[in-house]
Amino acid sequence: MAPEGARQHANWSPYDNNGGTVLAVAGENYVICASDTRMSTGYSILTRNYEKVDQMSPKTLMASAGFMADAQTLKKTLKARCKQYEFQNKKPIGCVSFAQMLSNTLYYRRFFPYYAFNIVAGLDAEGKGAVFTYDAVGSYERTNYSCQGSGQALIMPVLDNQLKTVSPLVLPAVSSATPLSEAAAIELIKDCFATAAERDIYTGDRVELWIMNADGVRKEEMPLRLD
Amino acid sequence: MNGPTLDFSFLDATARGSMASKHVDESLDAIDGNMHECNFKAPAVEDFEGFQREVINYVKPNHGTTTLAFIFEHGIVVAVDSRASQGPYISSQTVKKVIEINPFLLGTMAGGAADCQFWQRNLGIQCRLHELENGKRITVRAASKLLANTLYSYKGKGLSMGTMVAGWDLNGPGLYYVDSEGTRLKGQRFSVGSGSLFAYGVLDQGYKWDLTVEEACELGRRAIYHATFRDAFSGGTVSVYHVGANGWTKVTGDDVGELHFSYYPATPVDDVDAHCGGEGKKEAEARAATEASAMET
Amino acid sequence: MDVVFGFVGYDFAVLVADRAATQQIIVQKLDEDKIVELDSTKIMALSGPKGDCVAFGEYLRANVRLYRLKYGHELDVSATAHYARNELAEALRSGPYQVNCLLAGFDKLKNEPELHFMDYLATCHRVNTGGHGYGGMFCLSLFDKHWVPNMSRAQAMDLVDLCVGEVCERLVTAPTDYLVKIVDKNGCETIVYDATDRLKKRRDLMADVAARMASMN
Repeated sequence: MAPEGARQHANWSPYDNNGGTVLAVAGENYVICASDTRMSTGYSILTRNYEKVDQMSPKTLMASAGFMADAQTLKKTLKARCKQYEFQNKKPIGCVSFAQMLSNTLYYRRFFPYYAFNIVAGLDAEGKGAVFTYDAVGSYERTNYSCQGSGQALIMPVLDNQLKTVSPLVLPAVSSATPLSEAAAIELIKDCFATAAERDIYTGDRVELWIMNADGVRKEEMPLRLD
Repeated sequence: MNGPTLDFSFLDATARGSMASKHVDESLDAIDGNMHECNFKAPAVEDFEGFQREVINYVKPNHGTTTLAFIFEHGIVVAVDSRASQGPYISSQTVKKVIEINPFLLGTMAGGAADCQFWQRNLGIQCRLHELENGKRITVRAASKLLANTLYSYKGKGLSMGTMVAGWDLNGPGLYYVDSEGTRLKGQRFSVGSGSLFAYGVLDQGYKWDLTVEEACELGRRAIYHATFRDAFSGGTVSVYHVGANGWTKVTGDDVGELHFSYYPATPVDDVDAHCGGEGKKEAEARAATEASAMET
Repeated sequence: MDVVFGFVGYDFAVLVADRAATQQIIVQKLDEDKIVELDSTKIMALSGPKGDCVAFGEYLRANVRLYRLKYGHELDVSATAHYARNELAEALRSGPYQVNCLLAGFDKLKNEPELHFMDYLATCHRVNTGGHGYGGMFCLSLFDKHWVPNMSRAQAMDLVDLCVGEVCERLVTAPTDYLVKIVDKNGCETIVYDATDRLKKRRDLMADVAARMASMN
């Protein structure tokens, strides 16, 4: 299985961590995908204007934190696959199918992983908001909200506190939709990023929010600390 | 004695060689557990295992679990927790660790979450193809062997899985333990994961063949509950499944927090004697009473 | 830690293996069969990682049977041993089978029982007595002292008793259940060996010794 011409020096490590935080919240009829725009390496800021959210198909947004070179390659591959899917099926890929495809794509690099932490946000076939959260090798789960990247440990507790509902595993089943309006969710996300930027050196500069609902996709922005 | 003999040459390929051989009929690729071999990209390093050890520090896959399953008179009970952690960080409390392969087969998940999700989905594909080719459902024995063969071919590559395949077929209930070392064990009672020792403790003490379905489900739930109580890597929700002749059903899903207070209701401090259950105090009082009466005579 | 040992008698060979399937500190199973029946007159005890044992055992059994189908006669015991050794040797250079094994069988042509010792490094040696792992080491000295050529079945079972008793008394994490398989020209006989009687005898003996010592003072 080791490829031919394997002769790299012993401590060859093709990875870096460029920091950054990505976040998504799903509601009954909307989904919001947000990220900061800072990209760093070590203690240096490489750029204050790196957009981590992409639209992969009409109903799918994807955001990645971690190693941006891997994230970029991954998104490029996925966009090509989305096109292929569209040609073969005469319709754009839905977010649930896209989520499975991302999982498979990540897993095929199980032995040489993409060092990227991803969130997929979209509207499912019924128009409900959906968030899918991943680990680096492709395990994934549909949730109502998620946060990944350098600010994860700061933001996730806030989201749990504000948005946690009964586990979908509980039987008899209880509705586990996010009890929040779109406008309230936008405010919550902005607060989360402002908070993370106060305490995480890798989060800052600007936050962009992609808001998807039945009307389409729109963007909002808010400046964050620049220091 | 050796007249015109049958051609057995197709059996000559060695067990290990089949992984690398490219001359296999392409239509067979789809049902071969190793169909992904060519798709997996490998790093250009000489020390593959060293690279895996290093990379695992970066990607921190989801880990940590308690799962159990046992056969009894009325079928099989499968119970699991729902926590996933990346190092000390709890990455999810809502992981679905029972994987529903088909209406008669369940798989459980312990170890790397991605490994389990991917290969059990792959097993689901292989089982469905078996159904289509043979016109009947796959046995638990065959399904577990398919998974074990797949995992054995990746031995030493760093996969991490401990799974139980439970189901009902022509032979009745079947339960197998399969792991990423290539082990496959048939059995009546298994527990897998970081909390398995705690679960075994409760499970072994309470296990009998002639449990009712309700008693069995409660035993499974209780064993997982106690594992979540002692093992930091287990928690969330306890899901209990029952497998019977008509396939599996999910019986209950209970939040561990609420389960705790149903098992151990909060009581006012001054009322604690009423609930403590120990007979020590009563015994001491009785002893004192007999001693007192002995003194009188 | 598997316990595997065996020896030859007058017209039969004996293999003994414990029945525990373990993972680190957990006993997962107490009714495992670690002795594969390759065909009616050849049995093989395997010790090592479970996956490797099953893969190697099933592969050998399939090929031994295939040989009979193809050529209309059976491989004899030593040919099987050399074939198995060759498979181990080839595997050694490409991600080894980490299995240690004992092959016992009855050679119908030479009309004698045989025992072959093999380890995962593809060492192969025909022996009268053999064992693997720490459990086997306890038995080796007992074999040196008690094994004699042309043992009867009763003598053989006494020797098995002795070995299992020693393993139970001295080996940390000694298994409790064992399977004894005896192979001769008529086939293979399986005996489920219960070590508890044996342990009780030992315990009674020690209790007796302690009582006599106490009475000396």
